[in-house]
Amino acid sequence: MNFLFAVFSQAGRNLLQTWRTQILSLMTITLSVLIFSFFYLVYTNALQAGEQLGDDLRLIVYLDEEAVPALQEQYREKILKFDRVERIEFISSLQAFNRFKDQLDEDQDILADIPQDFLPPSIEVYPVRSLDALSRIKRFSDYLQTLPGVIKVQYGREWVERFYTFIELLRIVVILSGSLLVLTTTFMMAHSIRLTLFTRQKELELLHLVGASNSYIRMPFFLEGGLLGLFGSLAGIAALYLLFNWTQLRFAGSALLGMFSFNFFPLPVIAMIIAMAIILCACGSFSSTRKILSR
Amino acid sequence: MDTTGNNNQVMVDLTRVTRTFPPDVQALVDVSLQVNRGELLFLTGMSGAGKTTLLRLISGIEKPTKGYVEVSGMDLSKISRARLQKLRRLIGVAYQDFKLLPERTVAQNIAVSMEVAYRSRLFIRKQTRDLLAQLHIVDKHNTRADKLSRGEQQRVALARAVANKPDLILADEPTGNLDAESTELVMDLFHRCNESGTTILIATHDSSIYNRPDSRIVTLDCGRIVATKQDADKDTSEPVQYGPETLFTDCLKLLDKDTSEPVQYEPDGEES
Repeated sequence: MNFLFAVFSQAGRNLLQTWRTQILSLMTITLSVLIFSFFYLVYTNALQAGEQLGDDLRLIVYLDEEAVPALQEQYREKILKFDRVERIEFISSLQAFNRFKDQLDEDQDILADIPQDFLPPSIEVYPVRSLDALSRIKRFSDYLQTLPGVIKVQYGREWVERFYTFIELLRIVVILSGSLLVLTTTFMMAHSIRLTLFTRQKELELLHLVGASNSYIRMPFFLEGGLLGLFGSLAGIAALYLLFNWTQLRFAGSALLGMFSFNFFPLPVIAMIIAMAIILCACGSFSSTRKILSR
Repeated sequence: MDTTGNNNQVMVDLTRVTRTFPPDVQALVDVSLQVNRGELLFLTGMSGAGKTTLLRLISGIEKPTKGYVEVSGMDLSKISRARLQKLRRLIGVAYQDFKLLPERTVAQNIAVSMEVAYRSRLFIRKQTRDLLAQLHIVDKHNTRADKLSRGEQQRVALARAVANKPDLILADEPTGNLDAESTELVMDLFHRCNESGTTILIATHDSSIYNRPDSRIVTLDCGRIVATKQDADKDTSEPVQYGPETLFTDCLKLLDKDTSEPVQYEPDGEES
């Protein structure tokens, strides 16, 4: 009987003998993974939504006079010096007038007697679409305001600030639920394995007496922890997937879902969550057996 | 089994071993004993004489308060945990309280000692069946240990002790719950193991199993060796009556004299 076979058969026997405790542990792990991955999914989708909204996010820098090409280059240099941007567009008074005219559509007549340069020229700055860029947008706006020839800087300040606060809040929730997952999983595993060890004191004593090595005794529990982590996290992710699909179906056609596209985790993220749960559970069981065996 | 690499003929060597339990119960006092490889030795004496403690010291479950215990050339007080585990795989122990796992089957209980030594499944299956056949409990193969009678449990414990083909077998009252027929089966098993080179120490009250001319007997009382009987052909010492009551009296005398010199006995029961 080789080592691996011995470990697997021991672990299988342990799981069968203590299936009630194991189911409880499995449910706890499933629930922990579900809570964490739920908030993480909301967070990633909110970030994605932020990026989608960011398509319309721009800073409009109104100038007191038309910028000639040399001045345009100077503005471009100064803007890029402060932050990375996706693009910078210079809008002349005439371009602004034409845009306005197009927006008015059938009511263009009202502009008939108005001079075509009544709107100030401007620079449209499109920041990079990222949460960091969002967090810096106010400072960016303040900086642009200091540039020579700038009359006013406009952007959706209120919306950006609210969105940023929401994302920050979500980030805290994700960190908290992540910590909760780490604590619950490790604690639960350690205690359920310790409970199993206590109920099997006689067997452990016998194993010591017949010369079982520490790894022979410890590895099955380690494997048991890993398996519980694997199945618990798989069940948690599966439950979240069902919940996600149900939400998509339940709210299909709603305005919110129409505005944004919500996505489930990509495979690498799922693999990372599962791996994390396996490692945590295995560590929990390892710490328990180490305490018992060191006596 | 000589894991130290030397070709020592001594399997078990106890040097002036004392074992005291709190508060001041002396289970063994200044015991010195050598058991050669391939020897069959009976430890006799009344209950509480120290037989079980002696076996526990040899298997490394207990540590001596004073003195040294060496098994296969290894000093058990200096041995590492990993080496002790290896050594225990080469020692088969049949405990007085059997130490069976009640919720496991007979076959699973016997397999434990072989599983920890990573024996092949085929070996485990064959060895289990052979031993059950030798001990006339084949029909109990899949029976849970807690459903067995005391006698059957004892036989399962013995089967587990010999299953891994150990170099040293320690058996504590192996026939305590057995009838004459089962006792004979068990002793046949021990003799077969001994003939194949296994060293065997049997702690027992049962005079029917050690009253053989070729048996070496060590008698303990009050934690001291009070008598030894070598092989019949070697025994030239003064014979004394061989029986627990006389031994107990002798023990008291010895204690009065405060000496641990062993008294020599002869199997025919005549006192010198």
